Amino acid sequence: MRAVWRTARAAVRRRRLQTVVIALVTLTSTAALVVALGLVDAASAPFDKAFGKQRGPHVVAAFDTGAVSDAELRRAARQPGVEAVAGPFAQASVELPQDSMNFGLGGEITVVGRAEPDAPVDRLEVWSGRWVTGPGEVVLNRDADWAPDDLGKTIQVPSGPTLTIVGFAFDLSRTADAWVTPEQAEALSPTTAQLLFRFADASSEERLRDGLDAVTEELPADALTASWSYLTLKDRVSSSARAYTPYLMAFGVLGIAVAVLIIANVVSGAVISGFRHIGVLKALGFTPGQVVAVYLTMISVPAFLGCALGTALGNLLARPFFEFVFSGPDAGMLHGSVSIAAWVNLLALLGMPAVCVLAALAPALRAHRMSAARAISAGSAPRAGRALGIQRRLAGSGLPRAVSLGMGLPFARPGRSVLTLAAVVLGAATVTFATGLATTMDRFGNAGRDAYQVTVYVGNVKNGKEIRPKHGDHELHALLAELPGAREVTARVDVDVRMAGSSHEVVLEGRRGDRPRLDSVLTEGRWTRARGEIVAGSAFLRQNGLRVGDSLRLERGERSERVHVVGEAMESNARLIIADWPTLTALAPDEEPIAYHVKLRDGAHQDAYARAVRAADPGVSPSLSGSNSVTQTVVGSATALTLMLALVAALGVFNTVVLNTRDRRRDLGMLKSIGMTPAQVTVMTVTSMAVLGALGSLLGVPLGIVGYDLVVPRMADAVDITLPAYMTDVWQAPALAGLALVGIAIAVLGALVPARRAARLTVAEVLHSE
Amino acid sequence: MSAPPVRRSVLGMVTEESGAVVRLDGVRKEYGETTALDGVSLRIGAGEAVAVMGPSGCGKSTLLNMIAGLDRPTAGTVEVHGESVGELSEKGLALYRRRRIGMIFQFFNLIDDLSALDNVALAAQLTGTPARQARRRALELFDELGIADRRNAYPAVLSGGERQRVAVARALMNRPALLLADEPTGALDSRSGEQVMDLLIDLNQIGQTLILVTHDEHLARRCAGRIVEFADGRVTGEHTLEPSA
Repeated sequence: MRAVWRTARAAVRRRRLQTVVIALVTLTSTAALVVALGLVDAASAPFDKAFGKQRGPHVVAAFDTGAVSDAELRRAARQPGVEAVAGPFAQASVELPQDSMNFGLGGEITVVGRAEPDAPVDRLEVWSGRWVTGPGEVVLNRDADWAPDDLGKTIQVPSGPTLTIVGFAFDLSRTADAWVTPEQAEALSPTTAQLLFRFADASSEERLRDGLDAVTEELPADALTASWSYLTLKDRVSSSARAYTPYLMAFGVLGIAVAVLIIANVVSGAVISGFRHIGVLKALGFTPGQVVAVYLTMISVPAFLGCALGTALGNLLARPFFEFVFSGPDAGMLHGSVSIAAWVNLLALLGMPAVCVLAALAPALRAHRMSAARAISAGSAPRAGRALGIQRRLAGSGLPRAVSLGMGLPFARPGRSVLTLAAVVLGAATVTFATGLATTMDRFGNAGRDAYQVTVYVGNVKNGKEIRPKHGDHELHALLAELPGAREVTARVDVDVRMAGSSHEVVLEGRRGDRPRLDSVLTEGRWTRARGEIVAGSAFLRQNGLRVGDSLRLERGERSERVHVVGEAMESNARLIIADWPTLTALAPDEEPIAYHVKLRDGAHQDAYARAVRAADPGVSPSLSGSNSVTQTVVGSATALTLMLALVAALGVFNTVVLNTRDRRRDLGMLKSIGMTPAQVTVMTVTSMAVLGALGSLLGVPLGIVGYDLVVPRMADAVDITLPAYMTDVWQAPALAGLALVGIAIAVLGALVPARRAARLTVAEVLHSE
Repeated sequence: MSAPPVRRSVLGMVTEESGAVVRLDGVRKEYGETTALDGVSLRIGAGEAVAVMGPSGCGKSTLLNMIAGLDRPTAGTVEVHGESVGELSEKGLALYRRRRIGMIFQFFNLIDDLSALDNVALAAQLTGTPARQARRRALELFDELGIADRRNAYPAVLSGGERQRVAVARALMNRPALLLADEPTGALDSRSGEQVMDLLIDLNQIGQTLILVTHDEHLARRCAGRIVEFADGRVTGEHTLEPSA
């Protein structure tokens, strides 16, 4: 055993470069694998993880307190299928005045009385301040818009108490907009009792309905006034994550495949290149088992080290990466609960070394069976018939000899070349896929971006007080148009209307002014031309089973208007429809704009215009258009992942060239002895990989395009939008020509350093050592 | 200055030049703390056949490497045809080897993936000679060396003697001014060895300058006109031989 260990240690020391390459490749591959598997895991169930952490309610039920008592509710909740229950909590609806809008709360809010944030169901996370302890205190359920600075501010309930904000809580299930103490809730005249359930079987709406039916069976028929399941919430909350899932999955699968391929190539190549050494060991009296042990030890030491460091690196890389990826408006609330799962680390720590050992085992066992003499002769380049034929044809070609020699080299080690080619194919496919995705996302993010640069919202807050504009609607519109830098002004109104025959509320957006289209992108039909015409978002049309050309009736109070869908816009808000001003005023004649969108002249500065607006009317708040965060996230993460996978693929090429150079040291020495210049050696070596690179592009680019065609429509479907053709028509000739070079670039990048090293080989040393 | 007269044959283009083709002055070569050559000075004239003899590890192969431009001296100068080899760049050395030197190794150093013909043609193709022209020249050499029927065979199926003839053909491909042979019969059986010796004698007789490194006295006496004795990196003796009958 000591002999095995000493020989393996000596071999590791003697093959420093190979040892470093194995460690480096396993490190980067394992890191890529950890990030890739982590992404697959995180993208598959971000909602479930956050929901599980909060023990969120499977069903939130509201009961009429006039029809059923708390004691009856508690009794009824004791059903076999009920895993846990919280409540009943007193629930009141409170109508807040307009000035409370500044706290991000709608006109009517749901206030629930809870003594503690913790409960068997729905554990609230108080992320700032503290929980309510007495009357006059309130904790709000909001996330992004709030800052700890807002603590201590007050909300005046009309004809009720003044509530001081003492904390902010996060409740993924959104069971309430605000919480007060149970006593304070009683003072708000609650009419409803809230019960939160977790059921043993929550796999479908049907099972949840059955569970709730069991609870309400003994209760009066009209006791249950409303209920909603977590499945609806899940569908809404995880829509951003759903959009990411297909592409993250694609990157994950590519990452895993590249990592495993490279490791197999590096490790098996290291053993094969050591056949001559294996033969010598056998000749010295090592048993076949000892020889296998020497080689497995020699490979395992750097491989295990690389795997361990790679797992650590993967975890380090994943953290900022996940925060970056899961930072959308809805996904943002999930990022805290998304991290690398334990099973991913376990798999990387055990799986990758297992891949290494298996990759080393196959050629090591081959060497195990070989006689010493055969092992020694197998150490030189093989002489396969097909490879020789190719070399002969290349020798007679008109190509420079260094190029034709290089082109023939991959055929000398077909197995190694196939593994390297596979890595380059996946690298080229990744870059192709990411380029298509980034192009689409860029067009998506920039669609309509030049429509306006500043949005001026009506109303402002100063020292906790709301300030209304000094100017009326038309005055303000004219004022904004006259300020220096303004080119176009478009007013916008959002009103809630109802679709006749449906309980769904719809947001009707009316636009008036220079650019009624604003940033909307039409995917079908045309824009509105007259009263009674609307453009609807793709999500709205899909969810309501409508198409361009259909008609519907909109109602608001006593008024109604029949409208005709003349266009479909790229819009993921399933409640939004867009109309021109006469259609809006037909339904809501007194409604005033909530915002004005201003397009600036070329060269005008957003900041300067915003300052001018503030100075002209302190009762408005201008907001500058920024970049699209979802687009940035997708493009940024895709770029980072692509670079990582391309680097791993290039490392695979690097390793192949290192092994080939080692195998062909004698040939290189001889070629130099007959006058091959260092530049010719470099050209020959780089060409040998460029051939694989070109072939890699040939196979990888179509593979990437197939991946794009599979993933991008699913991303769009996940958020219920239809992408216009110009966004998905990304494969133009110049782009394809550029992509055709990707495989070659990966191959040349990986080959250049070892090729130059080969060019510097000292001939006398090489030939002497032979 | 007018160019020296040349004599052409299929085997080479031999310069009929008087005076020293190779000049070594105080050449030292150190590998770490080991001194392989210790102040070697030597002159070799055009058309001469010189055998460098000595025990293993005495530095004779290192001397050959210096002359071939495969390695650089630590000190001293190596001049071949007036060109200071040690001062050439890597590319310059490659071009020097290509144009002036033909090398024959003990273990042939043929490329296993290439046929015998392609191995030989390769030396010319590296200089940019078109494949067809290079093969034509290689075939002439194969005819001349008596291995024309083995031109399409691969090194693995050739006998030792055949491999060494292919290596000689490759060395002669670019009509070198200087043919260097490092133990050319060391890996051959006696019959093959004799054939290679005859070949080297023939080459020298048509004017090819030849430097032979060997520890085989029989080879040295048959092929060379002068023997340089080497020990511990130094020239320890030198004597001229009578031409054998």
